Amino acid sequence: MRIGIPHLGNAYIMVRAMAARLGAVNGEGLVIPPPMTKKTLDLGVKYSPTEACLPYKLTLGSLIEACELGADTLIQARGTGICRLGYYAKGQEQMLHDLGYDAHFLTLDISHHKFLNMLRLIRSVANGNRARTPLHEIISAFFFGIGKVIALDKIEKVAQKIRAIELEKGAANLVYKEAVKAIDDVFDSKNVKRITKEYIGKLNKLPHNPKADPVKVAIVGEIYVVIEPFANMDIEMELGKLGVEVERTLTLSRWIKYSLFLNYLGISEWREVHKLAEPYLDHDVGGDGWESVGEKVLCARKGYDGVIHLAPFTCMPEIVAQNIMASTKEDIPVLAVACDEQMGREGMLTRVEAFVDLLEFRRRKRDGRKVFSVG
Amino acid sequence: MAKVGIPRALLYYLYYPAWKAFFEKLGAEVVVSSPTNKTILNSGVSRAVADTCLPVKIFFGHVMSMIGECDYIFAPAVTSLGNEAYNCSKIIGLPNMTRALIPECPIILDPEINLEKGRYHFYQSIYKLGRYFTHNPFRIKKAVEEAWENNLAYQSVMFDEGLTPVEAIDRMYQGKQQPDSSVASAPSLTIAVIGHPYVIYDEYLSHRLIHRLQSMGVKILTPEMAPEKALYDAARKLVGIPHWSFETDIIGAGEYYLEKKVDGVINLSVFGCGPDSMMVTFVQHRARELNAPFLHLSLDEHTSDGGLLTRLEAFLDMIKWRERICV
Repeated sequence: MRIGIPHLGNAYIMVRAMAARLGAVNGEGLVIPPPMTKKTLDLGVKYSPTEACLPYKLTLGSLIEACELGADTLIQARGTGICRLGYYAKGQEQMLHDLGYDAHFLTLDISHHKFLNMLRLIRSVANGNRARTPLHEIISAFFFGIGKVIALDKIEKVAQKIRAIELEKGAANLVYKEAVKAIDDVFDSKNVKRITKEYIGKLNKLPHNPKADPVKVAIVGEIYVVIEPFANMDIEMELGKLGVEVERTLTLSRWIKYSLFLNYLGISEWREVHKLAEPYLDHDVGGDGWESVGEKVLCARKGYDGVIHLAPFTCMPEIVAQNIMASTKEDIPVLAVACDEQMGREGMLTRVEAFVDLLEFRRRKRDGRKVFSVG
Repeated sequence: MAKVGIPRALLYYLYYPAWKAFFEKLGAEVVVSSPTNKTILNSGVSRAVADTCLPVKIFFGHVMSMIGECDYIFAPAVTSLGNEAYNCSKIIGLPNMTRALIPECPIILDPEINLEKGRYHFYQSIYKLGRYFTHNPFRIKKAVEEAWENNLAYQSVMFDEGLTPVEAIDRMYQGKQQPDSSVASAPSLTIAVIGHPYVIYDEYLSHRLIHRLQSMGVKILTPEMAPEKALYDAARKLVGIPHWSFETDIIGAGEYYLEKKVDGVINLSVFGCGPDSMMVTFVQHRARELNAPFLHLSLDEHTSDGGLLTRLEAFLDMIKWRERICV
């Protein structure tokens, strides 16, 4: 059995870590497709229904690339209802079959019993490679994988801060990329902790201007396009180049922490956000629509300068959110970016730059400074 | 007497007789907006975010056309009709979007219908809705019973006589005898038209597709004309347990009519329809397997009569040509 996975941000690092613990080496038991490129997108677009959403197309492209490298068992998420996610696996399986790949899908149900499903999935994968894997090994591999994701998100958080105020543009990105590589290469928890500390230290030591008060922007929206840099054209790094501090609540580690563990104890990460959204939207509309509305309100209260709302083109929950967000009484600018295969880097950059200019004007106005400087 | 406005859009085509009976039994007057026209479309388009699908924009247009004509607007959030199936987000968030986009709109009656939350939640939301008109729970119960009976009558009119929802509503409330639908005396082709009722039967939105086909001598079959059970079974065969309630009927009908060997299947969908974009692929795939003609028409506010007609004619010609070759 050779397992293939689609890309989603740093998730591949987690999967590789788990697989290594369970005795599968990259290339043999596990196939990680190459990082997403234009080719992935083209493949996905070519073989998807025209009006399918971007995450569908990207994951399909990624899975085709995994199949080309010889994967025969593919992992894909599945949910119940409302959003298109429920049919990803079904549609993609049909398409891959038509293309002549004899691939078998293992789906991860992320609507109910997420923790058990995750363990079950890992077990069935592990048992495919080795006769019977004891439960404690599975659990230890699982936690090791999660540990890496948490470490990466910790480093990224620091990088987001430093990016905005660094003196030499691009330095933080380089350090962050090194950190991803370093974490991917070690296979025991002690080293993961050490590397995390080391790189956070490195980031903080980069020459930066600690007195700067950069414009703060929150990124909200649909989880896939928010987390996967290829889907949103690296919007975070571009914002960093413009000297903007980016904050996003949707991260892989947060999803894992709450959905797999704390939700079982009745702790919801979204309680506050849902409550804030209530005057405008009082029930779930699927996907991340409800959360997007609430987060806009929350960002206004927390004193952010602006919100960037990322959504795949024609994403139903996010369209509901966009329609509602525009008319909430909280006064905070929102830039809605629809991500799809037609999106061009320059067009996106122009819009983001204009948006950042707008935020800076607003700041100056608020501080009673001259809005336009002549000369 | 309180006036309740029902926009002639979205779920109107599925539940109008039930809603009308319910509100009238509670002593309210029911007003329906006029059929979709250019003004309605434009006013809806002017308010909504561009990516919103056309039927929802039209819904907003209908709501705007009724401002000042009624005291309440009925816009339920039909989240789930059971069976672990939900509706599209835009239908679930409909009342909230309406409130956000049309602040000048009258009071919105927005019961949340979510059968996944259990019976009690359902009863409660109906009771809450009835409370706008009466405090007597027994009167509300009576009204619900009346509504249910009307709904059954409506469905049987459609199913037994092979009428479209619009024709059935006309029959029920105006006693209008339809000109016999066999305009061309003996239809030469049978074509299944699958799609959301609010797309197919909205004459402005669908560019009178049904009439056009009928006048070309085609017998039309729509999802409403097939037994519900058969549709569900067919949908299950195609995709397993369907996650979207209204899609069940559409792809179920696709599969059901394909198995019945109709001459062709036309899918009428709107640009940006999330559920359709995924589900219709399965029907398309099946049609390819069975080597049956399948036409996918995607409508938006820019669709022109001429382009649509050309594609329809070409499709029919193709079917006739195929048959000649086969014979």
